Amino acid sequence: MMDFITKKGFRNLAQGLIKDYVFYGPVTKDGFPAFSRIEEFSQLKLSQTPSHISAKGFLFPPKETLLRFDIEKGMAEGVADAEKQVLFGLHSCDVHAINLMDRVFSYGKPDVNYLKRRENTIIVGTECVPDEYCFCASIGTMTVDEGFDIFLHGVKGGFIARAGSGRGRSLLKKYASPSKTKRAALKELERLTEKKKTLFKARLDIDDPSLLPLVYSFADGHPVWEKIGAVCYGCGSCNNVCPTCYCFDVRDEVSMDLKKGTRSRVWDGCTLEDFAKVTGGMNFRKTRADRLRHRFNRKFRYLADRFKGLFCVGCGRCSRTCLVKINISEVTNEILRASKERPLAVPAGKSKG
Amino acid sequence: MVGLPGYGEAPISISSQPSPDMVDLCIKAAGDLTNALHRLRKGDILWVRGPFGRGFPVEEMKGKDLLFIAGGIGLIPMRSLIKSALSQRKSFGRLTLLYGVKEPGEVLFKKELKEWEKRGVEVNVTIDRPHPQWRGNVGVVTTLIGPCKVDELKTSAVIIGPHVMYKYVILSLGSKKIRGEDIFLSLERRMRCGMGKCGHCQIQSVYVCQEGPVFRLSEIRHLREAI
Ligand code: SF4
Ligand code: SF4
Ligand code: FES
Repeated sequence: MMDFITKKGFRNLAQGLIKDYVFYGPVTKDGFPAFSRIEEFSQLKLSQTPSHISAKGFLFPPKETLLRFDIEKGMAEGVADAEKQVLFGLHSCDVHAINLMDRVFSYGKPDVNYLKRRENTIIVGTECVPDEYCFCASIGTMTVDEGFDIFLHGVKGGFIARAGSGRGRSLLKKYASPSKTKRAALKELERLTEKKKTLFKARLDIDDPSLLPLVYSFADGHPVWEKIGAVCYGCGSCNNVCPTCYCFDVRDEVSMDLKKGTRSRVWDGCTLEDFAKVTGGMNFRKTRADRLRHRFNRKFRYLADRFKGLFCVGCGRCSRTCLVKINISEVTNEILRASKERPLAVPAGKSKG
Repeated sequence: MVGLPGYGEAPISISSQPSPDMVDLCIKAAGDLTNALHRLRKGDILWVRGPFGRGFPVEEMKGKDLLFIAGGIGLIPMRSLIKSALSQRKSFGRLTLLYGVKEPGEVLFKKELKEWEKRGVEVNVTIDRPHPQWRGNVGVVTTLIGPCKVDELKTSAVIIGPHVMYKYVILSLGSKKIRGEDIFLSLERRMRCGMGKCGHCQIQSVYVCQEGPVFRLSEIRHLREAI
């Protein structure tokens, strides 16, 4: 559904949500866009380019208590805290990333902590403009049709507001006095979307991104892994900022009197040295080249079958943040170049791995 | 997953025949958690989650000769399978255990090894290097494979040991012509959740905690990083 809301309606919507919910939205921190708790409308600074750190932490916190235990009594109880919250100002790629995380955490044994929080989260998306790292247009995530409650597109005089859920529709009605969208506004949105496609500086040299798992399956021996492995710090920043990296470690903390404690999960990263190491010292991905190959393959190949989708949404955050400028779209293009020199002769089903 | 509040959890396989009432856990003190487990006394509480993943297809193995190849503490989970086979001894053909350790002091379940022999398991133990107190075989476990007689069409081989051992054992088994579907390996990986989420145990698209830890060689032969 395409409603129209005026600038005033937008203001009322944001103000209403800020007043009635725990509200997280974009602000400017140290000159960069970031998500933060917002308590007043004036703090809200809609950003057209991606936040440096994704919004995943509001659904999958960097540290989250799963269990409280009482050592003396030998008892433990599960903890699943989830306040009603609003995530405001997510871009299309961010919403796609959340849709992937939803699949991950409901696969197999459902993860109550994540799912409860997700259930309690209202998502309002906003339109964006690519910077030099964004390549969502090459991945198919430049626009989004589901996973949000409301999505806002700026047009002359206000916003086109798409409701993606019943909840979103009621919120629009409650706060923003929506009206029918005029044809001119719809035309304008179409024009803007077409124009956006031309603004990308980063892109993947492939027409059909669904072939990326296959392309990657032939690239295990590509020299690019050694090349980027040689400069990577193994710092894990790329994992931290990525909206679809969800690996975690589990840690216990005990009170000073050794009677009570908590078990938490904390973000972990596959680029960190110890990630695949077992007691006794064996490390299954010893070199930084091994670990980067794993991370990139996880984005483009390893999870694709199970979760029916690529795990990179083209936000460019990992490239933007990397101190040594390892750039995911450039690396992928290097691999694509090699695959073009040696055409893929094997049918999709026969690929190894 | 076996754990203690304050120390976390570790993936531990059972070493007795699976039973709903009781299981044996045999745990080497190697890190913080396992050292703390060793300090437990009778009556203390141990925390267990699971079981997770896939074990050995004992039913499918019936009627076959079983060749167990264990290295070091790999005998611990192997014991579970050996005991299962012995409890239905008649359902299996020849049972052979090839067991390699570094030095004589590391031989586990010494009494049981003798008992298993009596009950019809051919037991061959070897130590890596000569040792004054040792009169048996010397050399890595692969040296026991050569002399071993194998009927390749009716043998299932089971390999459990340290990661480094797998490559060499598989190479040596090559001459025995056992099919990849009939060679089983249990893979060790770092595990944090056991539920296919935390990512630690992942080998390419495979979650060892869920789809393993037991795999057929044919399933993982081409999986880079697996062996
Ligand atoms: S951010 Fe860059 S340097 Fe750090 S681990 Fe990732 S690729 Fe390596
Ligand atoms: S891999 Fe990089 S570009 Fe892809 S979703 Fe993650 S941070 Fe964004
Ligand atoms: S142990 Fe967490 S995914 Fe397997």
